[in-house]
Amino acid sequence: MAREGESRSFRRKFCKLCFDKIERIDYKDDRRLTRFITDRGKIVPRRISGTCARHQSQITEAVKRARILALLPFTSEQYR
Amino acid sequence: MKTYETTIIFDPGLEEARINEEVDRVSQSISQASGEVIEVQRWGKRKLAYNIRKRRDGTYIHIKHKSPPELIGDMDRRFRLNESVLRHLTVLAVKESPRAAEEPGHAAEPGHAAEPAQAGAAHASLNEEKI
Repeated sequence: MAREGESRSFRRKFCKLCFDKIERIDYKDDRRLTRFITDRGKIVPRRISGTCARHQSQITEAVKRARILALLPFTSEQYR
Repeated sequence: MKTYETTIIFDPGLEEARINEEVDRVSQSISQASGEVIEVQRWGKRKLAYNIRKRRDGTYIHIKHKSPPELIGDMDRRFRLNESVLRHLTVLAVKESPRAAEEPGHAAEPGHAAEPAQAGAAHASLNEEKI
């Protein structure tokens, strides 16, 4: 929450998966995975989401698998 | 022998009996190769995130099995040739750590945010914060 006039506010990002104590993110868990893709279907980078390295690589793998199974989109259709 | 998870998306037009037949055929090929079917999950008819062969929906079947690795290539070829299979994916199953058994189908642990990836169920309730 940046106050007016201030360029940025420093709020430490934290890994949401570590916070929720998720050991392993699964490619079948498409509801959880949708939190880590943009509305265009891209994987949200670590610098935006604040995910830790371990979980980010799990997310990447899981999203890619879920895309094959049409649980998640490769791209959002309306932007085509 | 390794543990695999195979997910198959069938044509939504296929009736129940035909799907059972196909699943039986897969299970048979697994047991013939001296493998073992651990679990068969039926996720039911689901909306696809994008159209596959002009289909908007698909019937999902998820099979957990122990199989010799040689069988997987063979299985893959058969799915490709099978017209009623829209999509398939076989991956190595993750060894379950003792504390996190968050598999769909398992009872949700108390205390945990009960959120099994129950497919087929309406999952429109996505009020969670967007990043």
